Amino acid sequence: MTSLWPRLEPLLPRVEKPARYIGCEDGARTNIYKPDATSWLLTYPDTYEIGLPNQGLQILYELLNERPDAFAERSYAPWTDMEEQMRSAQIPLFSVDTHRPAAEFDILAFNLSAELVFTNVLNCIDLAGLAVRADERDDADALIGAGGHCAYNPEPLADFVDFFVMGDGEEVIADITTAVDEWRQTGKPAGSRPTVLKALAQIPGVYVPSMYEVTYDGPDLVSIEPTDVDLPASIEKRTVADLADWPYPRSQLVPLTEVVHDRLNVEIFRGCTRGCRFCQAGMITRPVRERPASQVREMVSKGLERTGYDEVSLTSLSTADFSDIEEVVAETIDEPGTCGRVSISLPSLRVDAFTVGVAAQVSRARRTGLTFAPEAGSWRMRQIINKLVTEEDLYEAVRSAYSQGWHRMKLYFLTGLPSEMDEDTLAIADLAENCVAIGQQYTKKASVTVSLGGFVPKPHTPFQWFGQNEPEELRRKVELLRRRLKGNKRVQLKWHSPEASTAEGITSRGDRRIGRVIEHVWRHGGTFQEWSEHFDLTLWEQAMAASNLDIGWYVHRHRDENETLPWDHIHAGLHKDFLWQDWQDALAGFGLEDCRWTPCYDCGACTEYGIEHVVASPIPPNGGSQGTGQDLTIGHIVPVELRPRATVGGTQ
Amino acid sequence: MRLRIRFSKLGKVRFVGHRDVARIVERGLRRCGVPFTYSEGFSPRVRMSFGLALPTCYESVAEYLDVPLNPESIEDGYIACTGWGEGKSYNEQEMQEALSQALPAGFDVVALTLEPKGGNSLQETVISCGWRFDIPGADANSVEEAIERTLQSSEIETERKKKNKLVREDIRYGIHDLRFDGQSERGPVVIAELSAKPRVIRPSELVDVLAPGAEMGIARRTHQWIEHEGQRQEPLLPSTSPQLKEYTT
Repeated sequence: MTSLWPRLEPLLPRVEKPARYIGCEDGARTNIYKPDATSWLLTYPDTYEIGLPNQGLQILYELLNERPDAFAERSYAPWTDMEEQMRSAQIPLFSVDTHRPAAEFDILAFNLSAELVFTNVLNCIDLAGLAVRADERDDADALIGAGGHCAYNPEPLADFVDFFVMGDGEEVIADITTAVDEWRQTGKPAGSRPTVLKALAQIPGVYVPSMYEVTYDGPDLVSIEPTDVDLPASIEKRTVADLADWPYPRSQLVPLTEVVHDRLNVEIFRGCTRGCRFCQAGMITRPVRERPASQVREMVSKGLERTGYDEVSLTSLSTADFSDIEEVVAETIDEPGTCGRVSISLPSLRVDAFTVGVAAQVSRARRTGLTFAPEAGSWRMRQIINKLVTEEDLYEAVRSAYSQGWHRMKLYFLTGLPSEMDEDTLAIADLAENCVAIGQQYTKKASVTVSLGGFVPKPHTPFQWFGQNEPEELRRKVELLRRRLKGNKRVQLKWHSPEASTAEGITSRGDRRIGRVIEHVWRHGGTFQEWSEHFDLTLWEQAMAASNLDIGWYVHRHRDENETLPWDHIHAGLHKDFLWQDWQDALAGFGLEDCRWTPCYDCGACTEYGIEHVVASPIPPNGGSQGTGQDLTIGHIVPVELRPRATVGGTQ
Repeated sequence: MRLRIRFSKLGKVRFVGHRDVARIVERGLRRCGVPFTYSEGFSPRVRMSFGLALPTCYESVAEYLDVPLNPESIEDGYIACTGWGEGKSYNEQEMQEALSQALPAGFDVVALTLEPKGGNSLQETVISCGWRFDIPGADANSVEEAIERTLQSSEIETERKKKNKLVREDIRYGIHDLRFDGQSERGPVVIAELSAKPRVIRPSELVDVLAPGAEMGIARRTHQWIEHEGQRQEPLLPSTSPQLKEYTT
């Protein structure tokens, strides 16, 4: 075991935020080296501040280090100034726990939580001193693995990653460790790599792209099929049935330097069945699995005492939907150890007075920001995306917030949604202005921030067939709204770069040919593409042109029902015909109720795997399954029709 | 009443910045249940005041911190803890040990007293700091000679950046003590006392004088000096046998 620390230490005074590279967190393991065990380097391909709080990585870190046959350390993408120092001093990527070189580990496992980090994955592999292309790596080289939400369309990274993992990692890491351990014990001789790859490919939930062949017919994808009869044609995701069995992380890492979400994080449930049609996370993490309230309380109380934090976030995709949320919040506030000074953050999708009521209770200690996500401006549009929040719900929530002392709130919206018309976009302004008007009844300072994101269709969602808006169109819509809101100083408009949405579109629904594009962007210096100061669409355009691929075909084209999609061989449980039906319902303006409390729609997430929702309460929350009390069966006829757009200068 | 705390920052944690140290200490105080007080206002903060900020990358055995306490929780020299320490009551020495244990490796409380509030803040009263640092790769003889030359000069001009402009400035007035102290495994070791008023002079400025072109090695703040009734003294002396936790260098 070698430590790079003596060589690293002199570089640190030369870089920004050197504490990113020292480790030393409370909860970090420094005496974990086991000479005869399979070693994992869990790598987050973005900065330390973004990567450290990642709960998935922390859960795996603990689980692996509890095993006698494995140990795990962590690594994060060095910022550009540090990369420059490392490259000129010939120092490879290292773990922050013991500063060992990355290439000494058996497995480099990446967390993929956003598509724009893909070029950083290549950069990290390269910094580790390994060949970026899987077929150019030596037999004994570290295996490159990847998991996380973006692994559900693995094809764009298929050329670089040895194996992908679909779904929850808690159980599958044991199977992977066993397979890799066998390989490690043979001494990794020449010719042994295909054997370990095949062993990995036979583990349920694991996909080894080099063992799957892609067939095209001109530009069209025909099939992705295993080259070996022993391998499954369809890769099924892994799902842990009951979160109660996994009270992790037990000792959340407490960093010495400030990171995002710098507080105690306790996951209270996994999965979501609200069915928002744009939301990939909600689709791929089904079914809902709630942690028992008593376990939540214990994790909160022990976690706060151990860490000294005065803030806890109860995390999930929609926290106000947790069956016992009011009780859990009340008991957290009344926990004597916190002296009534704890703040609780509740990331939630619900937009109603109930949520504000809980939030107000929470902010007895310290007032935190309040954010609502109506996602679309008009009711017609919200039915299409199945975000069934009525204007009255929003106004009630906003009234409740202003009347309880909040002065400002944030509203999240998407633009570029299917069949969106200008009146839908402009309805965002009406909503925002009405919210301010309500606020002014309570405070002179009332204001609203509107945050606008360009919609990028995601795999395994009902919108996977939709042609994304072109950046010009997104910019036009932003401009429309900006002009409409100009002069209103109480509504502040912020928007996400339409150009970045295009690059995200290329990678999110790309196929294996996009690998060349990612490599091109990376080779031309395109790292940290999530960061606006480093993002450059020109790089992506040049890369697409160099690979003779068309952005319009990949990003802006509507797909039809029979098209083979690059992720058809990856199965998140959802039946493709369920998704297609939901897409048709969307276009017809039909909403779909949350299935936690209504009959099953047979989306596949439960029935395919013989599991069920785990909810503490059989009764839907106040206001019906969406908290709205709306009759959802009455749809609208959509006044526009979606037609596949002609390919612009299609070159394939 | 308040707690006056002297603590150390050693090893890898020297790369943690000053603002982050404040957050680390706050979490430590909370874990112990120290009955601290909060500021008023919309977003109340724990009341704490530090001595002179330590530049990132520097070690120290002489960091200072004042924490005003809730007067109701003090009786006969004992501090009654709240929160996670509810039910516990500590004297100064016990408090020092408990707080030290609650801080991450590399940070240790080396002295702690319970004293009346009042007087000027630490930041205002510190007049100079003691330092010990090495200069990797520099030649010991020439550093020794440069030290002699510096002490004999009446003026030492250095360049530094001020609002993006290079300004030349005499720092000789701020060098109270300067000595050669042998060799570390990296290079010659220098001991210095540098003034904190009217501005803080850093060891890195001296490196430019003693070994032009060389980089600073590891610097450690050894003292912060205040003036009390005409006498130069430290706000707190390290307790006789502070127990340091194991830390990584």
